[in-house]
Amino acid sequence: MHTIVCVKQVLDPEIPPAKFKIDPETKKVVPPAGVPPVISVFDERAVEAALKLKDKNKGKITVISMGSAKAADVVRHALSMGADDGFLLDDPLFENLDSFGTAYVLSKAIQKIGAYDLVLCGRQAADWGAGQVGSILAEVLGIPIVTLACNIEAIDKSVKIKRMVKDGYEVLEVPMPSVITVSSEIGLPRLPGGMGLMMARRKVIPTWKAQDIGAEASKLDKANAHTEVTGLSVPNRKTQCEFIPGTPGEAAGALAQKIVKLI
Amino acid sequence: MSPLAGSYWGVTGFVVFWVLLAVALSLFARRLYFLYRSIRLGKPENRADKLVARAAHVLSVNITQSCTLKSVTRKDLSGIGHAMMFWGFGLFVIGYVIFTGLGAGFGLSSLFIGSTFERVYLSIMDIAALLFIIAVIMAVIKRYITKPERLERHESSKEKIIQASLFSIMVILMVLFYSMEGFRYAAYNNPGSWPLIGSAIARLLISTGIAQSTLLTTFMTIWWVNYVLLLVVVVYIPNSKHLHPLFSPTNILFKERGPKMSLLPILLEGEETFGVSKIQDFTWKQLLDLCACTWCGRCQDNCPAHNSGKTLSPREVILKLKEHLLETSPELLKGKTEITTEKPVKAMIGDVITEEEIWACTTCGACQEVCPVNIEHVRKIIDMRRNLVLTQNKMPESAQLMLRNMQSRGNPWAGIQSMRLRGDWTNGLDVKILTDGQNTDTLFWVGCTGALAERNVKSTLAMTRVLKAAGIDFGLLGDAETCCGDPARRAGYEFQFQIMAEQNIELFKSHNIKRIVTYCPHCFNTLKNEYPKYGGNFEVIHYTQLIADLIKQGKLKLTNELNAKLTYHDPCYLGRYNDVYQEPREILQSIPKTNLKEMERSRNKSFCCGGGGGLMWIEEQPGTTKINHLRLEDVLKTGADTVVTACPYCLQMFEEGIEHKGIQDKLKARDLVEIVEEAMK
Repeated sequence: MHTIVCVKQVLDPEIPPAKFKIDPETKKVVPPAGVPPVISVFDERAVEAALKLKDKNKGKITVISMGSAKAADVVRHALSMGADDGFLLDDPLFENLDSFGTAYVLSKAIQKIGAYDLVLCGRQAADWGAGQVGSILAEVLGIPIVTLACNIEAIDKSVKIKRMVKDGYEVLEVPMPSVITVSSEIGLPRLPGGMGLMMARRKVIPTWKAQDIGAEASKLDKANAHTEVTGLSVPNRKTQCEFIPGTPGEAAGALAQKIVKLI
Repeated sequence: MSPLAGSYWGVTGFVVFWVLLAVALSLFARRLYFLYRSIRLGKPENRADKLVARAAHVLSVNITQSCTLKSVTRKDLSGIGHAMMFWGFGLFVIGYVIFTGLGAGFGLSSLFIGSTFERVYLSIMDIAALLFIIAVIMAVIKRYITKPERLERHESSKEKIIQASLFSIMVILMVLFYSMEGFRYAAYNNPGSWPLIGSAIARLLISTGIAQSTLLTTFMTIWWVNYVLLLVVVVYIPNSKHLHPLFSPTNILFKERGPKMSLLPILLEGEETFGVSKIQDFTWKQLLDLCACTWCGRCQDNCPAHNSGKTLSPREVILKLKEHLLETSPELLKGKTEITTEKPVKAMIGDVITEEEIWACTTCGACQEVCPVNIEHVRKIIDMRRNLVLTQNKMPESAQLMLRNMQSRGNPWAGIQSMRLRGDWTNGLDVKILTDGQNTDTLFWVGCTGALAERNVKSTLAMTRVLKAAGIDFGLLGDAETCCGDPARRAGYEFQFQIMAEQNIELFKSHNIKRIVTYCPHCFNTLKNEYPKYGGNFEVIHYTQLIADLIKQGKLKLTNELNAKLTYHDPCYLGRYNDVYQEPREILQSIPKTNLKEMERSRNKSFCCGGGGGLMWIEEQPGTTKINHLRLEDVLKTGADTVVTACPYCLQMFEEGIEHKGIQDKLKARDLVEIVEEAMK
């Protein structure tokens, strides 16, 4: 069983809000100094889902990431968790792509990798949170997709998937190959073990450029993008905190009155 | 007439003597060889350096009996009992060699029978036997009447009978000794006036008018009974659970030298599993530890985990592993790597030692400090953690969260503490933050907690003000500082520790750093004692050492009186790990009219705050008392209004305890450096 996992490198979501700065001119986030980027938490769960499948069914996991040379760290992180191979997709042409462009590049890389049974993605990226790449990728590859999987089980040539819905879950069965986006309920990603860390240290992560995967420059052109960022701002959020004094009874009464006024 | 001169059922006494001895010694040696081979199942470890110094240490510990006398308290006198038993029995062993071995066995008795030497030595043995009997009575009272918890263990009725027989044999041997003396002197009608007890018995026997030939026959009989009983003891010891007379001195011989509670690095390459999951994964020294255990339970008495109701007892870890070793080694010695017995195979981690036990240890080292025979408990627990984390990927969720943060963010803190960045606390301060290539002689290493946790940042700020007031030229790493790696290492995540150690050493070298002052005792221990193994040799001091020194040099003057009743809590990694007990006290004593009251458990007997060994972040076993709450009770008993410590974890632990108990108005927790600053103004 061969699983390909797409991972993304993002700004550490744990940085203090006060440190989160954007540049309105370039419409980009300005990363604070001294904070290393991390693997998108959702993609890390996708790696965990792939590892859970590998634990049960054996097979191979290939990780791909599109991004700058620094993104090699997130590929290496996935390798240390237990993935077998990793590739980095780095080309100036890949910068500032929208979900469609990204899915296109990923699909080209996946086709270059060759035979596969599943493609796993996080439910969304931890930075922009659009949650589109997985679905578009399935469309481009022409294979089925199931989103928000919280459990994946391989049965012969198909997979049985538990899919999170608002008030419970659905159980779906799809043929392989297909794309699955993984929900957080799949479980906490494992800590890289000794063997993984050792193997990941030794592994070479090849970098593929647009021409290596046969991506057409025209499809990556900004003019052909489906979306455009027109503005970027940090929401202005104000909180007010007020302590209501008195005995629990008095405080509850005063609180109730305040709530009534607000409704 | 020697008892060997006679003939028994047609066989001469000499033959009987030597045949019995040969049988006993071969049984003894056979078992000892099995135990030796079982211990050698362990992996290699070099403990053979400085053998002369080691041997001298064993002798001094044994002769002075400092091993058990060091832990004598008013409540627990058993160390004195052990010393009496050891000295008493030691004299007896020498006596047996001289009189039974050389005298009877080799027929040399004519050299000393009737000599002054004989009378003198037997007089000594006379007293030794008395000491020994008193010691056995003390032990019997302890075991069967007062029954302290540390000695209690589930025993089968067979084991109970064996234990009781051993006590009886000990007393019988002494009684036989007195009888032999008495009957022999009486038989030769030469009672003399000493040895006191022997002569008294002789006089009594003579006064009864029993025939001399009867007295002689009785003496012979007693002699043989005594001899056979001795041989029974010789065979019994290696075959019983009482291996300690054989292995404890050996264990002390190969004890850890250099930094205490140190851990062995894992080789990064060529291993398939990490840490210890099978008994033969331990080193031979770790297996020797198991055989050396006397089950005195002092470790358990002093263990914060055990005292707070956790399932961990250091004594049980050692004894259960020993039982497991002796259960599995016969199969392993046949060359089988997998054990195939009819009984289901026990997994060492899980069945023998549970994961809960392994995660309950704070690595405080109280067990090792008090152990009379230098058993190293902490390293075994960390070795098992290494296996759980690096090979099995099994750990409490809280441990995993901490380790993930170490891995991705370079510090163990998450949540509220990550609301700031490493260098934030330096904002607006006039301090030297080292830029690329900038050098400094003295680096102030703040540590994660001192830089990130709000409460500890206050102490860090006090620290910079004190250093400046003393005119110290120091640099900081600011944002470039990462964790020293200690929480990862103690939680078994050795690889992360090694990566951090290597990175930090490179960083120190790039700034040409000579001396490092740390705020946190955990960083102190790591940088001082663990980095040298990775090529990082720097002068590392804890700030309490620096400040004590500055006060001595007159560069810091503590002139303000503090209107406070203080007590000082020794952090484990400063005290037990590095023997820094005096400096913090010197600092406090140099404050005018200090009112310092010591806790009952202080200095090397200090009771852990509960935050070491990664447990600052790892959840305590549910339904048990929190260790810091227990320690807070110790503080309250002193009547102090301020508990002073010199460790960021301890400080947080006390503050949590104080808040939990709702006694913020009665008791404050302060870092020593804050007290120094207050006394300076």
